[in-house]
Amino acid sequence: MASVLTLLAGRYILGLRRRTHVAAVSAISFGAMALGAAALVLSLALLEGFQATIRAQLADSGTHAELRPRVGRTLPGGDWLASLRARHPELEVRVVSGGAVWCLAPDGAVPAELEAVDTLSRVEVNRLLAARLGVGAGSEITIASARLALSPLGPVPTRRKLEVGAVSAMRPGDERPVVRVPAAIGAALLEGAGPRSVVLRDKDPSQAWRVASVVQGEVPEGVEVVSFAELNRPLLAALALERAMIGFGVALVMAVAALNLLCNLALLAAEKRADVALLTALGLSPSRVGRLFLLLGVGVGALGGVLGTFAGWLAAVVLDRTHALPLPRGVFIVSHVPFRVTAGAVALVLSVSVVAALLASLAPARAAARRDALEGLRYE
Amino acid sequence: MSHVALRPSERGFTPREHGGFGGHVCGGRVGGAPQSPPQRIAGCAMSELVRARGLCKGYGAGERRVEVLRGLNLSVEHGEMLAIVGPSGVGKSTLLHLIGLLDRPDAGELRIFDADVSALSVEERASWRNRRLGFVFQFHALLPEFSLEENVAMPLLIAGRPRKTAFAAARELVAAVGLAHRREHFPDELSGGEQQRGAVARALVAEPELLLADEPTGNLDAANADALFSLLQELHLSRSLTSVIVTHHEALASRCGRTVRLTGAAVEEVCSKT
Repeated sequence: MASVLTLLAGRYILGLRRRTHVAAVSAISFGAMALGAAALVLSLALLEGFQATIRAQLADSGTHAELRPRVGRTLPGGDWLASLRARHPELEVRVVSGGAVWCLAPDGAVPAELEAVDTLSRVEVNRLLAARLGVGAGSEITIASARLALSPLGPVPTRRKLEVGAVSAMRPGDERPVVRVPAAIGAALLEGAGPRSVVLRDKDPSQAWRVASVVQGEVPEGVEVVSFAELNRPLLAALALERAMIGFGVALVMAVAALNLLCNLALLAAEKRADVALLTALGLSPSRVGRLFLLLGVGVGALGGVLGTFAGWLAAVVLDRTHALPLPRGVFIVSHVPFRVTAGAVALVLSVSVVAALLASLAPARAAARRDALEGLRYE
Repeated sequence: MSHVALRPSERGFTPREHGGFGGHVCGGRVGGAPQSPPQRIAGCAMSELVRARGLCKGYGAGERRVEVLRGLNLSVEHGEMLAIVGPSGVGKSTLLHLIGLLDRPDAGELRIFDADVSALSVEERASWRNRRLGFVFQFHALLPEFSLEENVAMPLLIAGRPRKTAFAAARELVAAVGLAHRREHFPDELSGGEQQRGAVARALVAEPELLLADEPTGNLDAANADALFSLLQELHLSRSLTSVIVTHHEALASRCGRTVRLTGAAVEEVCSKT
C-alpha cells in the first residue's frame, strides 16, 4: 500500500524538473531545512565545545567530591580516612578544618574564611581575597584569628605573618574570600577547630564525575558525600540553561524552514490539483492523498535534515581540527573556538527536522485530502 | 487495425450476450420526471448495472444555485454501450461523475452493481473506483511525471498489486492499444491521440465492469477521434464491458448500442440498436 505513495512522492520530489517554478521552491525549501539543521548542529557543537572545555577546566582545578558531616554532626574520628587513602590510591584526600579570620595587608583588612588543609605546604588566597587585599603570589599578609594570646599589653588576637604562595581559582558560585594554609598553621590560629570536611580529587581529572559514587559506600555514618555535580550545581545548571535556550533559539531557524516547507507543499498541492483528482478517480482514497502529501513533506524535511546534519557535522569537525577560529590568548582559556558534535545532538537535530517537517505537512496534507476531486477534473 | 488483445476476464464473469453494439437482451430504458415509472424496468431489473431514480444534483447556494439534474431516471444494462449526448451544461458530466462515485446526488436513488451507492463509505467508493470502474476523461489523460507504462499500471499499484504484476498487465494493455513502442515515453512525448489511447488502457487495466468516458474524443481531430472510438468499441466487446460514454459527437454516439439525450429533467431515447 505504501509503495504507490512512495513512488508518487519520490517522482514528485525528483521529477519536478517538469514544473520548474515548483522545483525551484522545493529546492529552496529543501535547502532551508538543510541550512536549519546545519545551523543547529553547529550551534550545539559550539556550545558543547565550550562547555566541555569549561567542565574539563573545572575538573582540572577544582574539588571532585567532598565529605561533609551531616547537619548537627562532626566528622568522625578513627582510621576510616586512612582506609580510604589505602583503598583508593588514585584519590588525593585532604582534610580541611577552618574558621573565621581577618586577613591584613598594607591596603586593608578583610574578613575571610580560613581553611587548614593537611596536604597543603603553602598559603593560598582565592582571587576574591587577593583582589580585596591587593596582593598576589609573593606578597605578605597577616592572618589574625579570634584566638587570644597573652602579651605584655594583655590578651591580643593570635596573628601570623605569612607569604602568599599562590592565588587560587574560585569555585563557581562561591563568593567567599578564602585563605588556605597548611594544617599546622591552621591549628596554631584556630585552636580546637576540628576537621570540617574532606576534599577528594582523582589524579585523572576526567574521572571527576564518578569520584562521589566510588566512595559513597565507604564513608562512615553521619558523613555526607557531595558529588562534583552538586558542588558545581550553579555553574552546571547555568550551562544547561544556556544550551537549552541557544538550542531553542537556533531551532527557530528550523521552524522558519518548516513554514517555508508548508508554503511549498501548499503550492505543490495546488499545482498537482488535476493529478490528485485523477488519482482520486483511479481509486486513491482521500486518506491516502493526505498520506501522500505527508510523505512528500516528511521526505523533503528528512532529506534536508540529514543533509544539513551531515554538513553541520563536517563543518564542526573541520573547524575544530583546523583551529580555524582562533581566540586571543589570555582572554579565553582555550586558543581556538572548540566544536564538539555529540550523538545526542545529531539525534536531536534529526528528530527536530522530521517533527518540524511532519507538523508543516499536516495542514497541506489535510487540505489536499479534503479537496473535491471534481474541482481538479474541471480545472484546466 | 485492431489493437485489442482478447484476454479472458479474471473475475470469472459469465459470458454476456452481445448482438453487436447494444445487442443486449433488454434495452434498458429511461424515464423523464421522477414520478414517471421507467419503461421496461420490471422485466430487466436483474440485468441493470446502473439504475438511477429521481436523481437530483445542483451546485451553488441561494439565488445562485443551479439545479443541473432534476429527478433524472436512467438505467444502463449489463454489456450495454450507452452514449449520452446533450448540450453543454445539461449535466452529462455531472451524471457521469455521480455514476463514477466521484460525487453524491442531492436526492434520488442510485444503484450500481445492484448496490445502493449512498451506503458506501469514502474508502469503499475509492475501492470501487479502483477495481470496478474505469474512467477516461477529456483532459488530464495521463500523469505528466510518469511514463505511459507507469500511468497504465497506476490503478493496479493503487490497488496494492505487486509492481511486477502491475507492470506486466500494463505492458499487455499498452500493447493492446497499439502503443508498445511508446510505453517508456512520457505524456509530453505522446500525441493527443496516443495519450487518450493510454488513458483507455489505464481505465481497463484493473479489468473494471463499467467503463465511463467523459468526452474522450473532445480534444482529438476527426481521424484520431474515429480511431479512438473504434478502439473503445473493440475493447467494449472483447472485454465484455458495460460502457457509458458522454460525447458531443453525434456521429460517434450513433455507433453506440444506444444513445440518449440529456435535457436535465429528462432523458430522451435517441436511438437504440436493440
